[in-house]
Amino acid sequence: MKLKSLAVAALTASLMLGSTFGAVAEEVLRLRMNGDINSVDPIATTNFTIRNSAYLIYDTLFALDADFKVQPQMAEGYTLSDDQLTYTITLRDGLKFHDGSPVTAADAVASLERWGKVDGLGKILFSKAASLTATDDKTLVLQMKEPWGQVLPALGKISSNVPFIMPARLAANDPTVPVTEPIGSGPFKMKVDEWVPGSVAVYEKFADYVPRPEPASMAAGGKVAKFDRIEIRYIPDSSQAVDALLNGEIDWIEDVAADLIPLFDGSDTAHIFANPQAGNSLQLVVNHLNPPFDNPKVREALQWALEPTPFMQAIFGEQTQLYQICVAIFFCGSPYESTINTDRIMTRDPAKAKALLAEAGYDGTPVFLPHVTDIPFHDHAYSVLKPMLEEAGFAVDEQMTDWASVSTRRASKEPVANGGWNLFFTGWGYVDQSNPMTNVYVAGAGKDGWFGWADSAELRDLRTQFAATTDAGEQKALAEKMQSVAYDLVPFVPLGQASLAQGVASNLEGFIDSPVPFFWNVSRKQ
Amino acid sequence: MFAYLAGRVLSAIPILVLVAVFIFSLVNLTPGDPALLIAGDNATPAQVEQIRERLHLNEPLPTRFAIWAGNALRLDLGVSIYSGQPVTRLIAQRIEPTFVLATVTIIITVLMAVPLGVIASWKANSWIDRAIMGFAVLGFSVPVFVIGYLLAYVFSVNLKWFPVQGYSPLADGPLDTLRSVTLPAVALAMVFAALIARVTRAAMLEVLNENHIRTARAKGLPTSRILIVHALKNAGVPVVTVIGIGLATLVGGVVVTESVFNIPGIGRLTVDAITRRDYPIVQGVILFFAAVLIIINVLVDMSYALLDPRVKG
Repeated sequence: MKLKSLAVAALTASLMLGSTFGAVAEEVLRLRMNGDINSVDPIATTNFTIRNSAYLIYDTLFALDADFKVQPQMAEGYTLSDDQLTYTITLRDGLKFHDGSPVTAADAVASLERWGKVDGLGKILFSKAASLTATDDKTLVLQMKEPWGQVLPALGKISSNVPFIMPARLAANDPTVPVTEPIGSGPFKMKVDEWVPGSVAVYEKFADYVPRPEPASMAAGGKVAKFDRIEIRYIPDSSQAVDALLNGEIDWIEDVAADLIPLFDGSDTAHIFANPQAGNSLQLVVNHLNPPFDNPKVREALQWALEPTPFMQAIFGEQTQLYQICVAIFFCGSPYESTINTDRIMTRDPAKAKALLAEAGYDGTPVFLPHVTDIPFHDHAYSVLKPMLEEAGFAVDEQMTDWASVSTRRASKEPVANGGWNLFFTGWGYVDQSNPMTNVYVAGAGKDGWFGWADSAELRDLRTQFAATTDAGEQKALAEKMQSVAYDLVPFVPLGQASLAQGVASNLEGFIDSPVPFFWNVSRKQ
Repeated sequence: MFAYLAGRVLSAIPILVLVAVFIFSLVNLTPGDPALLIAGDNATPAQVEQIRERLHLNEPLPTRFAIWAGNALRLDLGVSIYSGQPVTRLIAQRIEPTFVLATVTIIITVLMAVPLGVIASWKANSWIDRAIMGFAVLGFSVPVFVIGYLLAYVFSVNLKWFPVQGYSPLADGPLDTLRSVTLPAVALAMVFAALIARVTRAAMLEVLNENHIRTARAKGLPTSRILIVHALKNAGVPVVTVIGIGLATLVGGVVVTESVFNIPGIGRLTVDAITRRDYPIVQGVILFFAAVLIIINVLVDMSYALLDPRVKG
């Protein structure tokens, strides 16, 4: 009996005190992103988690710096001919892919061509280009049909789809077929043998990477890998992820839910960093094809029916540092921030909304609300939306559903009864919406555009003018005009701008200010 | 014995076929288009259509079933439509955590529940019996995630004895593995122990009233021998059945525990795949579950033959 108790005691002691959990000699950075690394191809999807992982693996020819200016990255530099038509881009020396092969201009051409088949800006670039060729191993020549001010912004695009460079043999794949071999020339190399989709993706420092000499500045500058190994862990349960961070098992959480933020009070292990650039805004998308919102007066009534504050309060509670009551179409804090034509959105007046509905001859057709319950950001917003609409005189048909169903249904141009829709919430981020060339709500592209299909020749014309000019003052004026026209058209109603509450281990330093999370330059304090 | 087993195995085949048809239809009739989810937020309709073509989503359902079933017969369950990884590889990666968690849970459960059930039946209707059954009701009624959070709060966050989350593979050392699955296994064991203790008690009570027990008592055998040798073995069939069902549930149905403790097991693979409409994974995993369930059933049936000589006939 004594022997048995001894054995049990020994086992218990070794379990509790036993070897350190997963500790290794090399420096490891453990991250928890919002999603799972379920693909290694950032061109086949626009998914942000895949984009974040791709920034470790792949590199880009050009990149955006902290002043939102485009800088050479893999490119040594470029020249532009006097007629503004010929871009000659030279690659840096010593660029190598993770399979050991050198990066050539032919790889860059093939990668850009693949990207140009799927990315919105990439498609426009290639429609305006006469040719893109590799004249030798280190030189690419882009010949334009007409001068276009957006060539460098397109090549230095920071968010999905990012024009990442991969070997030509992989870039030869159809862009809708995901590449399964993650070979890039970035500062970290993905270890495919340790990749468990749905659980963990592992990256190790790429010894042959040559960083640029300049200091890191947003996506541009020297990408110096200071960790030997990075693990992106998919932890589905948010509160356990926070406990793991506070316990020192992981180092960083992309987005901490507002109700878990008080857990960080008084912690020495980790803190919250509210990052406005990585945030998004709450956007109520309006379908212009179906009644009642095919009527401009009803859309105006919708603006009067709502205001941002209750939505932000419902989502963030007491965490007021995480949101701004800002409805600028290009986001507050961006170069194109404006308050023009926002009165109807900022002020709520149900009586005015009712009057407009009566004037529009609204017949009480119920507005279909797909209440998404699996994304808390949306779930809270729908709970506020329904009573506000009803108070303003709308009839509402609310149905509980999940995001996957809504993301399918929103593609339908049919009437509501045949599987179509009226309104849904989404949350495009700062990085996409702060740029008039990528903001979907100022496209005015009608049935060829993004869901909601708002049509405006004036917006299309303004965007063309914006793309043609490189004058900052003129661009600012055009962006302001776009906001004014869009808020008369109502492709969506903005209901507040959120910051991303990132959970960060307090022993880390060197984070780069950016809308996209980057992990070069980051190290553990000594 | 052989004919008995062969019969059990053969009867499993039509069940597998039915499961395959049912799952395929259910998965493919669920609203939600994987092409739209793959393409992401700013994809154009043309891009989405290209992806639909590539995944054969435009083909009629029977054609798609024929393609899938034909491949499945060759043990090719297809590839994930996101990662491009073979479904068989994805399942194989998840077997170890699930198997280790299930094994540790069953060991803790049986060590806890069977003695409790035996004691409860021996002291039937006393305060000991009521206390044990009260514990059983509690264990069965409290949701497993509540137990999980409580255990993590006490033993990980405060005492720091165990990690909050994650699984350490056997290859990195079995002690680390055991540490990483202890809390989830205890959380799960609370639920199953409650059920097994109740079943053990009921089965034991029935046996304890039989004549051979009275004879054993009259012979003056010690209580422990009567309980373990004469009663427990005869009460074994329902207990083993419940343990078998428990094991099958552990392989497939511990999604909540796997999510709370971030164990990359098969249950989570399934739920993640359903959320993303990754059809090949959902179909492959459920077919795998069905096969595991059938194997466990056959094993349980075999144990009947060992426990009860009448079954062999």
